[in-house]
Amino acid sequence: MGLLSQLKQKYKTLSIVGMAKNAGKTTALNYLIEEAMDDGVVLGITSTGRDGESCDLVTGTDKPRVFLDTGTIVSVPVKLYDMAEAGLEILCMTNYSTALGQIMLCRVAESGYVQIAGPVNTKDHKKMCGEMLAYGAEIILIDGAVDRKSIAAPDTSDAIILSTGAVLSRSMKKVVEETVHIVGLYQLPELEKGNVRELILAGQKRERIMLIKGERVELLDLKTGLSAGKFLDEAIDEDTEYIYIPGALTSSVISDIHPTKLKQVQFILKDPTKIFIDAMHWQQLRKKGFTAKVLENITVAALTVNPHAPAGYSFEHEALLKAMRSVIDGIPVIDVKLGGGVQ
Amino acid sequence: MGSHTTHSACETTTVDLTNVKPYGDTMNDGMMQLSFTLPVPYGEEANEAAKILARKMGLDEPAVVFSKDMVGFTYFVLYGKCQHTVDYSTIKVTKVEVDVMDRLECEKYITENIKRPVVIVGACSGTDAHTVGIDAIMNMKGFHEHFGLERYHGIEAVNMGSQVPNEVLIAKAIEVNADAILVSQIVTQKDVHIANLTNLAELMEAEGIRDKVILICGGPRISHELAQELGYDAGFGAHTYAEDVASFILTEIVKRKMV
Repeated sequence: MGLLSQLKQKYKTLSIVGMAKNAGKTTALNYLIEEAMDDGVVLGITSTGRDGESCDLVTGTDKPRVFLDTGTIVSVPVKLYDMAEAGLEILCMTNYSTALGQIMLCRVAESGYVQIAGPVNTKDHKKMCGEMLAYGAEIILIDGAVDRKSIAAPDTSDAIILSTGAVLSRSMKKVVEETVHIVGLYQLPELEKGNVRELILAGQKRERIMLIKGERVELLDLKTGLSAGKFLDEAIDEDTEYIYIPGALTSSVISDIHPTKLKQVQFILKDPTKIFIDAMHWQQLRKKGFTAKVLENITVAALTVNPHAPAGYSFEHEALLKAMRSVIDGIPVIDVKLGGGVQ
Repeated sequence: MGSHTTHSACETTTVDLTNVKPYGDTMNDGMMQLSFTLPVPYGEEANEAAKILARKMGLDEPAVVFSKDMVGFTYFVLYGKCQHTVDYSTIKVTKVEVDVMDRLECEKYITENIKRPVVIVGACSGTDAHTVGIDAIMNMKGFHEHFGLERYHGIEAVNMGSQVPNEVLIAKAIEVNADAILVSQIVTQKDVHIANLTNLAELMEAEGIRDKVILICGGPRISHELAQELGYDAGFGAHTYAEDVASFILTEIVKRKMV
C-alpha cells in the first residue's frame, strides 16, 4: 500500500509545508498525485500560493508542472482557468478573491496540466477545503508556497507533509539540524488536560495575553505581544506560573523578559506555527531554562527530502535519507525523486 | 535614426506580433543599444571582449560605438542586431483589476459607501531604507502631480518610514486598527524582499489579523502574480500612483463588507 492510501485512512486534509523555497513541495505533491492515480483515490488539490507554472517567479528556474487525473477536485482562479491544458468542469464560483481573480472549484473532466492557486489566508483555506470535501474529494492536499509555514497550523489541516532538502544549506549537517528543529517545534508537548488548560480555553476567545497565577487569571491590556517585551517583564510577578500568548512568539516578545522570570514561567502557545525563533536562538533559550507547551501540536505525517538544490549542488540520495532517518523518529522519511522507500 | 524604408530582403515592413523584434532604424531590423562595463583595461582587447560577449547574448554584427577608460575598467556603448523574437500574442500578465477612481472620486466613495475613516499603515519594512516608493504613494505632495494618500479626506495615512521591523509594523497596525497595510520593497539583492515579505504575511497569520487587514506590497520587482505567491492581496509595480492603491483598498473594503 502506498503512502497516500495510508494517510487517507487517518486524515482528510494534508498540507505540504516547505522548509524553504525549492525544497521539493511540488515534487512531493506530484508523487502523491501519482500514487492517487494508481490507487484510484479522488484527490482535492489546492495551493496557498500558485502551482503548476513552468518557470519560478522568483528564481527563474524550472518548476515541476502539475498533471491532474480525471475526477480530481481543484481550485483554480479565473485568470489561470484559460491556461489549463486539462479539461475543467466548473463546479462553483467561490467568494474567495485572490490576486489572480475569484477562485473557482473545478472537477477535472479530461486529465492534463493545470495551474492551481488558492485563497491567500488560512481561514478562507479551511472553509474552502470543507467545500471540496462536499464535492467528493476523499483527501485534500494543500500545497504550500515559498517557506510559508502558517498552513501547517492544526486549524487548517489535519496533518502536514514537511518537505526539506539540500536548498537549505550546502552542509548536510545543517540541513538535518534545521529540519530537526522544525519537527521538534511541531511536536512540542501539548498542555496536559486539567485546570490550567481549562482556564486558558475559557479565556482564549478574547485573544489576549493571559497570566495564570494559581486559580487566578490575569488578562493583559495589550493588543499584541509584539515589541512588548518590557511590558511583559513588568507584568510577570512572583506568583505567575503560566503565560499564554495567543499570537506570535518572536525574539521581541521575550528578549526583554528577565532570565529568572523566563525560567519561572511556563510559556503556552496556541500552536507551533506561532513560533518565529530559529534553531540557534531556540537552543540558547532552552539553556536559559525557557520551556514552552502548546494547546495543539502538529502531526507530521511524512518528511520528504530532496537532495538537489537549484544552485547546482546535491547530496548523495542515500546519505541524506540515512542521516535524516537516523534522527527522525516515528515519521516516514521519503526521497520523492527516488520513489517508494516507505519504511 | 534614419528612414523607415526596408533595406534587407529578409526584413518586412509590417509588425508580426508572433515574432516581435527590436526596432532600430527599420521595422524588424532587431537593432539594440547596450551600455555596460567590463572589469578589463581599456583598449582593443577590451572592445573585442565586449563584441564576443554581445554575440554570446544573441546579437549579430556587434559594434562598439563608444568606449571609455575607467582605469582598470572599460565602459562601452554597443550596437547589435538581436536574433531573438518574442511571441507577443501569447503573453498574459495578471494585473490588479480595479476601476481606478481619482482622488475626488475616492473621497466621494468613502463618504457614500464606507462612511468612516479608512486607516492605512505604510512602511519600508525590514532592512530597506529606500522610502521613495512609499513616500510617492503616501506623502501629501505625492509624485508626478498625483497627490499622496495623506491628502485624501477620509483616509488616515500612517507612514512609518524606513527600516521598520515587521513586528513593529504589525504592532502599529493592530494599535490603530488598520484597514490596510502597504509595504514597499525597493532593495531586492539576493531576494531579501521575498524573505521579508513572507515573514510579514506569516507573522500576521500568527497574530490572527491576516484576514482582517488588506495586505499590499509594492516595488519595482513586485508583480501581482508574486503577491499571490507570497500571500498578499495585491502587488503593485512601477508606475503606480496613490489613486491606484486607494481604489483597490476602498473597493476591497466594500467587497469584503469591512465597512
